[in-house]
Parts: sequence; structure tokens; C-alpha cells
Amino acid sequence: MKELNELILPDDVRFTEDHEWARREGETVRVGISDYAQDQLGDIVFVELPEAGSTFGKGDEFGTVESVKTVSELYMPVGGEVVTVNEELVDHPEYVNTDPYGKGWMIEVKPDDLSEMDALLDRDAYLRQLEG
Amino acid sequence: MPDLRIVNLEGTRRYISLLRAQHRLIAARREGTLSSDVALVLEHAPVFTLGRNATREHLKVSETFLTERGIQVVQAERGGDITYHGPGQVVAYLIFDLRAARMRIPDYISRLEEAMIRVARDFDVPAGRNPLNPGVWVGNRKLGSIGIAVRHGIAYHGLALNANLSLEPFTWIHPCGLTGISMTSLKEERGRDIKIEDVKSALSGHLKDLFEGRGIAVNPMSSLGEIAIRP
Repeated sequence: MKELNELILPDDVRFTEDHEWARREGETVRVGISDYAQDQLGDIVFVELPEAGSTFGKGDEFGTVESVKTVSELYMPVGGEVVTVNEELVDHPEYVNTDPYGKGWMIEVKPDDLSEMDALLDRDAYLRQLEG
Repeated sequence: MPDLRIVNLEGTRRYISLLRAQHRLIAARREGTLSSDVALVLEHAPVFTLGRNATREHLKVSETFLTERGIQVVQAERGGDITYHGPGQVVAYLIFDLRAARMRIPDYISRLEEAMIRVARDFDVPAGRNPLNPGVWVGNRKLGSIGIAVRHGIAYHGLALNANLSLEPFTWIHPCGLTGISMTSLKEERGRDIKIEDVKSALSGHLKDLFEGRGIAVNPMSSLGEIAIRP
């Protein structure tokens, strides 16, 4: 497992306790999983994402990632409508491992209530949770 | 690592009731009303299960054929493809908090494989890993399988080790979506009968060693209280 000081934890995203990240991009929020999460999962072989247009509440399961013989659930950092999904992950699920905050993004959400972002963990709070 | 409570369930158990039990245990583990990890060691009544990326094309017979034999086909939440469970196969379901243990999933899977390899060794069967396909193998014959799901950082489902089950149902599927491999069992490899209770107890012992568990209980319904497993 990566040491905590080896983890990439950008300043421009917020985190959930379940290791998703959310980045505000104008009126929408882009969502993926953290460097810690991808390291913990191991090699990702499949990403199951919802259809664009689906709506979920904060904390709802929106998809799964499959690493070898393991299916792990993904949860919404904020509630809202999924406006775009990262279709590249169909052919390149490994992007989640190699570039979790960039090419490995998963969905883009139009939040019902942007203030839900404020309740998410900032980098320091997330790091404290990891230090547990 | 937190304690691992190992529960050896007697009799054959329905897949669906164990799935519900696992859901209750995960919820309790997450809420903190269950402070230890739990391993349930058991045998299933005959059932085919489809993992999340399974395709029914890997089932070579019709569902009617199976229904006539009293065998259900159920959708499972674990990873992996199609497989068969039935009497004579030892299943261990671990409700295991990966975060509390600070364990990566590949390491966790490796420990589950190690538990099966050690059981095989106890019965003088030389089993090992295959770099291309997870699980436990004797040559190109599959002895044990792994399938895991993770909910809020807590792993459930687990492993299945073939002790003395009928291997015929595996001929009705492409196990785990693989073709050109065969399934085997401890009995098949040893050429003599194997007592299922001996396999369950060997597996419980090795899980206890590998996950630093404190004890093994047999059918402790009352101690599981609210989350008791119903037959």
C-alpha cells in the first residue's frame, strides 16, 4: 500500500469518506476516485457507470469498479443528474489507476444543491481521515 | 487488525439466506454494533451464481434443465463470472473491514488463496496460484475460487474450496467464464474420500492464523444475536 506521503491529493478537489473526489467545474461537478482508492483496489479491469440523464441522491450508489475478482461500489459525493459519463473508461479502465484525477474521471454531475460540496472533506481533512 | 470471529455453520445453507446474513453483518460492522470481522464457514445447497460480469452464455444447459434438478440460478453481487456451489464444497464468507486492517484488495485475495493452499497441503494436495487466473489450482485444474464485493470499505463474499463435491454440475458451465480448464476437488486429487468437517475445520484454523483470529465457534446462533443466520 502506498505510504500516505506518496499519495497524490490535489487541492482543487473535495473528498468523501468513501474515497470519491469531486471537482467543481462551473455549474457541474466532476467525480472520480482518489489515489488512495485506486491503490487499495489494485488493477481495475472494468468500470460500470450509469447512463447520462440518471439522477441520484448524495451517497447513493452510482456504479461499480471491478478489480481482479472484486466488485466495489461507488457513491455520489453530491446529489444530482449525471450529465456526462467518461466513455473512455470502457476501453481504458486502467486510466483510473494511472491518472485518477485526470483521464480516470468517471461522471459529471449537475448538482441539485451545490452547497453539498461544502460538506465534503478538503485535502487536509481527508488526509487526517486516512491517518485515522 | 481487528479480531476475526470464525463461525462454523452446520448443514447446507441456501445462498439467498447467506446473502441476507452478509448484508446484515456489513450494516452492523459499518454502524459499529459489530466490532469484529466475521468469517462464516459453511456448505451451500446446490446453486449456480452469476457474478456481476457474468454472461448466461457461460451456462451450457437450459434453466429448465437445472430447475428440474432443483438447482437455482441466482445473480450475485461478487466479482467474477459464473460458478457452482453445492454440498461437498467449503465456502467461507468474510465480512472484513479492509480499511480498519489497512489492507489492499490484492493482498486480501492473496491471503484467501493462501488459506486454501494450506488446507490443500493438509490433505497432501500440492495446490498453488496461477499468475493469469486468480484462485487455487492443481496444475490446470481449479480447486478453489475467489469472489469479493466491497461495500463502504467492507469486503464480503469470499472463497469456495472443492472438497468432495460432485464435479458434474461444473460440466454444465464454463466455470468463471474460462474454457479449456477443468475443476477438481481434494477427493479427486487424493483418490479417497474426504470428510467435509475436517476441511471446514482446517480452513477455519488457517483463516484464524492468516487473519489473526481469536477463536472458532460452531453454530453460535445466540452470540450473533440480531444478525443470526437462519437456515
